Amino acid sequence: MKRMRIFLLQMKALVKLSFVELWRRNDIFGLLVLGIALMVPLSMASPFGASGASRYLDEMALLLIWGFSLFVALGTGSRLFPPEFDSRTILPLLSKPISRGRLLFGKYLGAVTASWSALLFFYALFVGSMIAHGGGFSVELVQAVVFHMAFVAVAVALALAGSLLVTPSANLTLCAVALAGMFFFGRRLPEYAKEVNGVLASVCRFVYAVGPHAEFFDMRQRLVHGWGGVEWTVVAAVLAYGAVYAGACLGFAALVLRKRRA
Amino acid sequence: MSASSVPISVAAASSVAAAALAFAVGGIDVARMPQASSGGDVLSVAFGGAKDTISAAMLHKADSYFHGGVDMDCTLDREHDCDENCGHDHHHHHRHADGEDHDHDHGHDGDHDEDHGHGHGHDGDHDGEAVAEHGAGGDPWRWINVRVRAPEIEKHLEGDKAVETMPWFWASVKANPHNIDAWTTAWFIARSAMHDSALAWRVIEEAKAKNPDSLEIALTEARHVYDSGRGDSAAARRMFEAVAAAALDRCGGDESKLSEGDRWSLKFARTYISDIEKKHSR
Repeated sequence: MKRMRIFLLQMKALVKLSFVELWRRNDIFGLLVLGIALMVPLSMASPFGASGASRYLDEMALLLIWGFSLFVALGTGSRLFPPEFDSRTILPLLSKPISRGRLLFGKYLGAVTASWSALLFFYALFVGSMIAHGGGFSVELVQAVVFHMAFVAVAVALALAGSLLVTPSANLTLCAVALAGMFFFGRRLPEYAKEVNGVLASVCRFVYAVGPHAEFFDMRQRLVHGWGGVEWTVVAAVLAYGAVYAGACLGFAALVLRKRRA
Repeated sequence: MSASSVPISVAAASSVAAAALAFAVGGIDVARMPQASSGGDVLSVAFGGAKDTISAAMLHKADSYFHGGVDMDCTLDREHDCDENCGHDHHHHHRHADGEDHDHDHGHDGDHDEDHGHGHGHDGDHDGEAVAEHGAGGDPWRWINVRVRAPEIEKHLEGDKAVETMPWFWASVKANPHNIDAWTTAWFIARSAMHDSALAWRVIEEAKAKNPDSLEIALTEARHVYDSGRGDSAAARRMFEAVAAAALDRCGGDESKLSEGDRWSLKFARTYISDIEKKHSR
């Protein structure tokens, strides 16, 4: 019981730290200003003098939310450990005492929670604008948010694992390329594999098999065009995929962290 | 030379080099440089040749919006699964009324009716259930993808809702004002799906201003006039005749020298002229 309480206290402290760090950096407000700067001119556009189109605004807003969430998730995930190693603050942290595994999980939990808070903030604005032009809550909206949260959890785990292997800039670049690439082209990889030959085809098949399938979590089209939600078995499958992928990244990160000297 | 004078010397040499370069570049005819864009607008400067690709992507997006957000490639995914598992055939091309396959099928059929002619040939049987029953060929990632991204529905936007396509057509022609497909499809959607003749006319007017030499745009304008004034087809006939004359003038009478688009314009201009003549002779 006491150990559980200590565990929860440690987690709470780590989560709070990540949360405060993210919101104090003002990145989110910078992104918000950027979003407004992009969306306001778009909302005033009157293509060929026609008015009444709104789906393109929803789509652009969702695309921005995806971009921003990726930026926040990768930034938060990749900053968890390198500064601790650089400034040697990892040593007092580990001497608290807190195990490396617990530290990793706590930091991950903090980064995910902080990134989710940013994501929910952006979605709150999006839903507000949807309601303002006559929209409302729907099953696909709930599913889209849940899927997006799962994507953020995967992105943070990937960035965290990468941050223990390569330099911060390389990690950010690689993770962004992998996630954005899979987001846009992931489902097409088997076709690309058929069009190329030899090593490149094998690379396509390998990436398709083990790459982070960010496109699974993309419900934008369903949301924008009101297609309705996906079946709950699919929701379960996607969430299970996200959980397993994030778990695998964390497991790998735990292995690296265990062998790494402070 | 002292250590402190090195940066000053380098800065001075760099300034001279920059001034010499500026002088040299100032004498170059920028328009003749290979990287110079013909338009000169911000998009041209920023994207150059990539504008065509962006324009095509925007047009594809407009097409997807017209089909209720369904990306035909995604629908193909789902049907591909069906094909693999159910042995169904799939057709995905636009077919002309005369049996000739053509990409520009925006209702250019013999009857000049409101038929979109957008025959994607998606069979209703290719639905999610078929995939669910047969799986996705052992590929779990595909199983998820087709369910998340490809809907079971297929619908066209009609009436006022079709206005949702207009921002993408607009973006397409902004990226490449010479994307004739984008102009004519925007016109077609405005006229036939939205039944907004004024909007369709604005599209054509703008298209004509940006593409004064395009026979396809001229033909579309003539069609608009013909459709708008069903009773009085004299003006439309003159315009169709002008299109035909311009096409023949362009090839010097040898129609085999015409581009595919121009040949198509000539063919349909003649069809319309013939129809008008038939109606007059009745």
